[in-house]
Amino acid sequence: METRVRGLLLTALLLTLPLLPGCASVHRWREHRAEVRAAREEARAEAAQANPSAGGDTVPPGVVQPQVERRNVKVPRIRSSNFELGAHYGVMSIEDFGSHPAYGLDFAYHMTEDLYIRAEAGRATGGLTSFETLGGNVRLLTEGERKFTYYDLGLGYNFLPGEAFFGRSRAMTSSFYVFGGAGATQFAGDKKFTVSVGGGYQVLPLDWLAVHVGFEDHMFSSALLGANKLTNNLEAGVGISVYF
Amino acid sequence: MAPAVCSAHLFTRHARKYVQAFVKTPYLELHTGPGRGYPVFDVVKQGESVTVLFRRTQWLKVRTPRGVEGWASEDDMLQTVLADGEPLPLRIGTRAGFTSHRFEMGAFAGVFGGANFISAYSSLAFNSQMAVEATVGQFLGRYSNGITADIGLTHVPMPQWRLSPFLSLGIGLLHVEPKATLVQPSNRTEQTAYVGGGFKYYVGRNFFLRAEYKTHVVITTQNRNQVEDEWKLGFAVFF
Repeated sequence: METRVRGLLLTALLLTLPLLPGCASVHRWREHRAEVRAAREEARAEAAQANPSAGGDTVPPGVVQPQVERRNVKVPRIRSSNFELGAHYGVMSIEDFGSHPAYGLDFAYHMTEDLYIRAEAGRATGGLTSFETLGGNVRLLTEGERKFTYYDLGLGYNFLPGEAFFGRSRAMTSSFYVFGGAGATQFAGDKKFTVSVGGGYQVLPLDWLAVHVGFEDHMFSSALLGANKLTNNLEAGVGISVYF
Repeated sequence: MAPAVCSAHLFTRHARKYVQAFVKTPYLELHTGPGRGYPVFDVVKQGESVTVLFRRTQWLKVRTPRGVEGWASEDDMLQTVLADGEPLPLRIGTRAGFTSHRFEMGAFAGVFGGANFISAYSSLAFNSQMAVEATVGQFLGRYSNGITADIGLTHVPMPQWRLSPFLSLGIGLLHVEPKATLVQPSNRTEQTAYVGGGFKYYVGRNFFLRAEYKTHVVITTQNRNQVEDEWKLGFAVFF
């Protein structure tokens, strides 16, 4: 019943949508284009009437035609460099599964000098739990299930901006940053809703190049080893990114 | 000798053209970095020009005729002019841009049918009130995981308001992967139709917050259609 009522509401909304003001202007596109075309035809006809000499032998009226062509100056576009694409490599301590190499990609869009939107994805491979190590041939997971793959979307914030000096003549801009986001982790044959928080320090040796050192915690609840618990999977590493 | 000439020629041919901006205020301050705290290390006098190299957020990297490079703030650069006296073509996110823009993209976190939900969307506007939107999302629940994808129309009746309501309507697909502990789990993909609404709240520059509710009718192969509610909160940018 509820579904039917919702269906009816959907249909009613669909029917009333063309009456909304925004839709009306979409409708008017076609009309507007027809009007523009008609006006253009009219102007052409008038021009032909006013100047029938095209192709004829009559001399045009003696108005001085300017010989100077107006220069059309095209202003070049100011290039923006607010996007950042990077890669990181480090170690991830997967809770109960040991510490192993981890790597990933990050993408960011800088909205202000402080605030940015970021997305990242990465992977690590879990090892054996203590139970598996002590238990001989017991294996809780297959090799494929030990792959820890994550992604998240979130916001980041740059703080304590400054300059790092390299020798006497080289200054590089730098800042600390923190970020947080939500995403998913595929591990142990299951996908889990994951909250990620982290931070780091970055130095920009060139305007378009940044070098990072940072850490991140990927948190999700898991009942893999019996009781349901929040697992903290800490990742620490170095990264490099380019701005474009 | 020939290769050098050739490369020089190539270089000039492909050299990027930069905007030349003339200082109209008594002076233009150059900072050492793209941020409000970086010290001023040089100034450009009134009447002199700078070459605008590129822009990062609210800061522009410029080069003076003496070859000094530094960062000038967007607010200061808005006071400069081109050679013909026209203002500098700087596009900045403003309330007017929030009211009327072409592209929009953002990300959300929320709840879909009782499961945790993450989604991202992008939209293309026909005018200030109507836009077509595509959204993809992933829900992660106790009993099932899955992916949603939908496309639809969004109508913003009052785009000039800072807190602006909108309505949305569209169709989509829902892919469900039940968890293995349930009986007879089988992945399935169903068609959906949704109606919803929400609010956008302009924060500043080209950034806004967005809260949204959608109710999806899942057109199943069973006797009864299923209804799933989606609540989400997120942020977005417009271009």
